[in-house]
Amino acid sequence: MMPHFVMVSVLLMCQITAWAHKASDSYLVVDVKGNAITAQWDIALRDIDFALGLDRDGNAEITWGELRARQSDVSAWALSRLALTRSGSCPLQVTSLQVDEHTDGGYAVLHLVGVCPGATGALGLQYRLLFDLDSLHRGLLRLTLDGNTHTTVISPTSGAMQFVVTQTSRWEQFNQYLIEGIWHIWIGFDHILFLLSLLLPAVLVLEMRRWQGVNSFGLAFREVLWVVTSFTAAHSITLSLAALGLVSLPSRLVESAIALSVMLAAANNLWPVVQHRRWLVAFGFGLIHGFGFASVLAELGLPVDALALSLLGFNAGVEVGQIAIVTGFLPAAFLLRNTRFYLHGVFVLGSWLTMLVAFIWLLERAFDLKLMTA
Amino acid sequence: MFGTLLASPARSVPRTPVDDATVIEKLPFRAGDSRARELNALRVNARKAPGDSMAAAALAKAYFDVAQALGDPRYVGYADAVLSQFNQPMPVDLQVLRGMLRQYRHDFDDALNDFAAVLAQDPKRASAHAWRGAIYLVLAQYDNARKECTALLELQRPVLHGGCTGLVQAYTGQLSSAHSTLQKTLALTRYDDQRLWLLTRLGEVSAWLGHNDRAERYYRDALALGRDDGYLLAVWADFLLDNNRPAEVVKLLAAWESSDPLLLRLAEAENTLQLPSAKAHLQALDDRFAAAKLRGDITHQAEEARFQLRLRKNTALALQLASANYQIQKEPRDLRVLLEAALAARDTEAAKPAREWLQSTGFEDAKMRTLAAQTLQLPPLVKKQVGTP
Repeated sequence: MMPHFVMVSVLLMCQITAWAHKASDSYLVVDVKGNAITAQWDIALRDIDFALGLDRDGNAEITWGELRARQSDVSAWALSRLALTRSGSCPLQVTSLQVDEHTDGGYAVLHLVGVCPGATGALGLQYRLLFDLDSLHRGLLRLTLDGNTHTTVISPTSGAMQFVVTQTSRWEQFNQYLIEGIWHIWIGFDHILFLLSLLLPAVLVLEMRRWQGVNSFGLAFREVLWVVTSFTAAHSITLSLAALGLVSLPSRLVESAIALSVMLAAANNLWPVVQHRRWLVAFGFGLIHGFGFASVLAELGLPVDALALSLLGFNAGVEVGQIAIVTGFLPAAFLLRNTRFYLHGVFVLGSWLTMLVAFIWLLERAFDLKLMTA
Repeated sequence: MFGTLLASPARSVPRTPVDDATVIEKLPFRAGDSRARELNALRVNARKAPGDSMAAAALAKAYFDVAQALGDPRYVGYADAVLSQFNQPMPVDLQVLRGMLRQYRHDFDDALNDFAAVLAQDPKRASAHAWRGAIYLVLAQYDNARKECTALLELQRPVLHGGCTGLVQAYTGQLSSAHSTLQKTLALTRYDDQRLWLLTRLGEVSAWLGHNDRAERYYRDALALGRDDGYLLAVWADFLLDNNRPAEVVKLLAAWESSDPLLLRLAEAENTLQLPSAKAHLQALDDRFAAAKLRGDITHQAEEARFQLRLRKNTALALQLASANYQIQKEPRDLRVLLEAALAARDTEAAKPAREWLQSTGFEDAKMRTLAAQTLQLPPLVKKQVGTP
């Protein structure tokens, strides 16, 4: 008879009690680098008490001393319910015990380390904490596997899980930096203007102190190829050195030097000093531009695990952007090379304008001024 | 996204206490308390006879009762783990419990199936009808609910029948009949837990009817029974908040911070009164909703909608939560938060299901009808303009 009376009091009241408190969770943060594992596991003290009984004096309060006294039991219990594998089982051990608070009360914090037989391939994880006692318990896992982060809510039905360092994510990473590189060359007007200043005379030749068009496309193409290749080689070198933290220059100096390089490249068109070895100019100043790219990359941040790949992606992106500019520029310039429009409008006036703009950049960057709004 | 969420509970830095006597956690009860001793005895029994469904049912039931009394879902998990050791087909006693646990997690369809399976084996199991009635009310399937009420009458369970029928009447536009049904039922019982439940519902019905004095008398009679009851405290606090009496809510709920729904009401009252304690309580609610979301728990959506609407003024999110909640639960309080959120977000379309519910049921609460009328007067909304000045 009695159960039915209790049931009446329960009737229709279910919804309110459903939202008091939260059910049991543990927070498991695992970092796997190669064969080395470090982890932090926060387990509610109430859950440990329910499974093992911590409250020795039965006063409904768990003290630090009561937890410490059971440290080896707690560790053995927890570790028996977590298995990690990478080419075989990765034995874990508890290095230290601390405490913390989450929204629903006090937690024991277990710091774990472990070593796996293998340093590559999939990571297996099986979590069974408390599932035998509390089917609403969940393990909230954040796993960083060689730099890739996975987050999962583990339930009694999760079973043994496999995490892989996916090739697609590497490829995506490369792509992401490739696009950043392209984007940067397109919005980096100083790089474009520098390159164009060096390319404008590629379709021309100075004869008797007068500029005129070159005879063959091949000549122009070879000149462009030399200039672009040297620029690329140079800025790839410094970009890599800076991104890897081997060389570092103050950004104000770098940015000012880039502005100066644009100015000098444009000036060289109006008052030719260097004619046949423009690729040397491209190489020399390219070294400076590389440091400029590196500062952009520093803002993006390079993933530690995929440093080389991302760097390669960014460099490749810059090249793709440059090639696009050259592909647009060269045929048009070659066709127009003997027109007054090109000789005077584009080449002379363009160089003057470039010099003026670069001069303003130089003032802005060297003296930290704001002269142009762009 | 998940990563940043995970970072929030882990935001605090682990520490190493210096003193062994430092208290790092308080348990719900002492080992020597009668409840703890009772649970322990049941645990020992169940362990001694692993296949004994009666022993398992007794333990699971005891866990579930503790969950109800303390509002602590850990005990629901414990009960569920006891049941999961049994394979299909389940003994009837265990299946009743599983249905209860499932409805608790808002798994209403599976819960209905469990209770139907119980009735197939034991047609006289009144509690299964009562639970089915309760679930149909939450789902706004009133014809189905009525059938369960009738079954309770046929089983000669007048108190269960009266409670069931009274609520169906209340939700379907017959508040006066509901009041008299519940009042007559109250006269049938001397058990405190039944009286508390009926008085609480009489308070709600009276408040919907606009009879505030009478509602207050019912609530006070229920409180005078001296039992802790989360539902009673919540609806009584809502009544006080609706009648601009936040100071009384602060006094009433000061010791109930551990319960999310009651903390929500406490924070609303403190916020209205601009008390300094409001800030910490709002943060605590933020953290608890985040923690619930992290484990994929959506049983808090109605509360979270109200929190976002009234306390965080985040109308877009509030409306999203209230709409999602309404897909699952359709009781008057779910309707109300949906209407309020739609009104705040100036989204007449989002309030449509609520208006249709009011129309089809004829639910008589004047406040709700006013809200619904207001949502109709909203100008048609170009969604993209929300949030721009």
